[in-house]
Amino acid sequence: MILANTESNSSLKSHNTRFNPYDDNGGSIVAIGGDDFVVIASDTRLSTGFSIYSRNQSKLFKLSKKSILGSSGCWCDTLTLTRLLNARMQMYLHEHNKEMNTPALAQMLSTMLYYKRFFPYYVSNILAGIESDGSGWIYSYDPIGNVEKCKFRAGGSSGVLLQPLLDNQIMLSNLQNIDEQPLSLEKAIKIIQDVFTSAAERDIYTGDEIRIMSITADCFKEEKIQMRKD
Amino acid sequence: MFLTRSEYDRGVNTFSPEGRLFQIEYAIEAIKLGSTAIGICTSEGVVLAVEKRITSPLMEATTKEKIVEVDKHIGCAVSGLMADSRTMIDRARIECQNHWFTYDERITVESCAQAVSNLAIQFGDSDDDGAAMSRPFGVAILFAGCDEKGPQLFHMDPSGTSFQYDAKAIGSGSEGAQQSLQESYNRSMTLKEAITLILTILKQVMEEKLNSNNVEVVTVTPDKLFHMFSKEELDQALENVTPLIKDEGEASTSRK
Amino acid sequence: MSILEYNGGAVVAMKGKNCVAIASDKRFGIQAQTLSVNFEKVFEISPHLYVGLPGLATDTQTVYQRLKFRQNLYELKEGRSMSPKAFCAMLANMLYEKRFGPYFVEPVVAALDKNNEPFIVAMDLLGCMTTPDDFVVNGTCSRQLYGMCEVLWEPNLEPDDLFETISQALVNACDRDAVSGWGAVVYIIEKDKVTIKHVKTRMD
Repeated sequence: MILANTESNSSLKSHNTRFNPYDDNGGSIVAIGGDDFVVIASDTRLSTGFSIYSRNQSKLFKLSKKSILGSSGCWCDTLTLTRLLNARMQMYLHEHNKEMNTPALAQMLSTMLYYKRFFPYYVSNILAGIESDGSGWIYSYDPIGNVEKCKFRAGGSSGVLLQPLLDNQIMLSNLQNIDEQPLSLEKAIKIIQDVFTSAAERDIYTGDEIRIMSITADCFKEEKIQMRKD
Repeated sequence: MFLTRSEYDRGVNTFSPEGRLFQIEYAIEAIKLGSTAIGICTSEGVVLAVEKRITSPLMEATTKEKIVEVDKHIGCAVSGLMADSRTMIDRARIECQNHWFTYDERITVESCAQAVSNLAIQFGDSDDDGAAMSRPFGVAILFAGCDEKGPQLFHMDPSGTSFQYDAKAIGSGSEGAQQSLQESYNRSMTLKEAITLILTILKQVMEEKLNSNNVEVVTVTPDKLFHMFSKEELDQALENVTPLIKDEGEASTSRK
Repeated sequence: MSILEYNGGAVVAMKGKNCVAIASDKRFGIQAQTLSVNFEKVFEISPHLYVGLPGLATDTQTVYQRLKFRQNLYELKEGRSMSPKAFCAMLANMLYEKRFGPYFVEPVVAALDKNNEPFIVAMDLLGCMTTPDDFVVNGTCSRQLYGMCEVLWEPNLEPDDLFETISQALVNACDRDAVSGWGAVVYIIEKDKVTIKHVKTRMD
């Protein structure tokens, strides 16, 4: 044993650098749900360390007429997960003869993530969807399937920076003498633009462009807003 | 004909030259030995009723369960080999819970019936663990349930085919009962009328005298979901039955 | 977990129009356990000069005491009060002296200089200074603070607006940090007065 150790000392060293299957490709997601709409946005920067892979990669995936997924983190995991999601939704359509609704999709995503509990998809997911009563809701996930249903959420590399802002601007936390008015889609998009500008200022993994997708009862809309690109 | 049969009716995975699988057909025959079960679907809900053959006065009638809850919103009435039905009910229950676990919603009645149908045709081929069902299941099942499409009734037979019905009877008295259902059923009937009708028909086709001990009734409605009738509820429901049958008027009073 | 996050806490300072503000939370805890809710991390050095020392609580106190020690010596020797610039240089030097066994504090300085111009500085634990012209943040919820300040702050805020901005930034940021919060204190430093306000926050 000792002999073997001394002999293969140099080769041992190279064995110690184990393959790391994960990479953090950055990117941020913000989603807001209202009484009759839901809106979700992502930046388009894809990076690793100090280099940028792409300045034009949206992290939003339109899964159905009523739901959009925002997924950031390890981009290869995002790609695999979303392909699998699409396949599972197609299977559901064939098996049950109906389109998957948002709560069902939210639960399925949770179980899919949990099934890889010990080799997780390294992604931060935010699902935005319209429910059967027409209201917009957000489901946010951790990488192993914990899910929270809420009205607004920021995730990804700038999630920490943006969440307190959303608390303040949407939930009006720590504000007094302000009567709460129902949030409009226009106001929500305005807030999203503001918070992304803020994130691009301080987070090197967020920038380039904002992609915004919104769903209301009668229409689906997509728009782009330019951000700083340095 | 007889000769051809004797050659081809043993294997469950061999078609006869006429293109038939005799074992399945025999399995369907086996249902006709089972106790009668009837289901009626109305716009207010579905009702299931089965006769329980009390073969011995020493038998504990309440332990004979022929209508079972599969999920909060789905009930099943079975006829045929009761032992086989356990396996299928187990599968139905698992499918329901699996659907809830994965999708956080109630499975549709149709999907539940379809899932059990998949099990029904898995005889003959060996499983991963080598434990396959060697013959078709000798069971027919009525699935009654309420989902987003409203109250529904499905029927599945040993061949694994399942269809939706407004009203369906299975088991030994099924032929007569189905005839009566066809005559008396209409889509606008209330649940209460359906309960009375189902008991009336059951009474006609049963060999024994109908009473609250030898019948099981379950309703599945959108608000109360699966509900098994208690003895009191059964007695109450049976009171509505007697007057409908004119020629038995005297007999039934003397029975009481 | 970094030793800087052992006790929790956050400090933020902002420039306004002829005024400057510095604010901190009031929590003192050991990891997740809160031990005190009136542990202030901002100290008066001179009437127009304040320093915030978020980080390891023991070092917060030691660094403050050593700063006072050196400041007193300076003022005795020189016979004049310290300018913010001199104070920062002294603080940075003191931290760098412990280059290989540092004090675990990340100071924030807010002051009005001799021309009553706003002056803010942030440092890392080794004394590396940064002097932006808008705001500085340090402590366990610095990321949350960056997000808040980047949106809320604007140039030339009057003292009242500056107070509203800095307290909203601090309180909302602390609400998203488990080891900061439990009350906050805000100092608004103007030419002829310093206003100290204690802000009520959620206590969980």
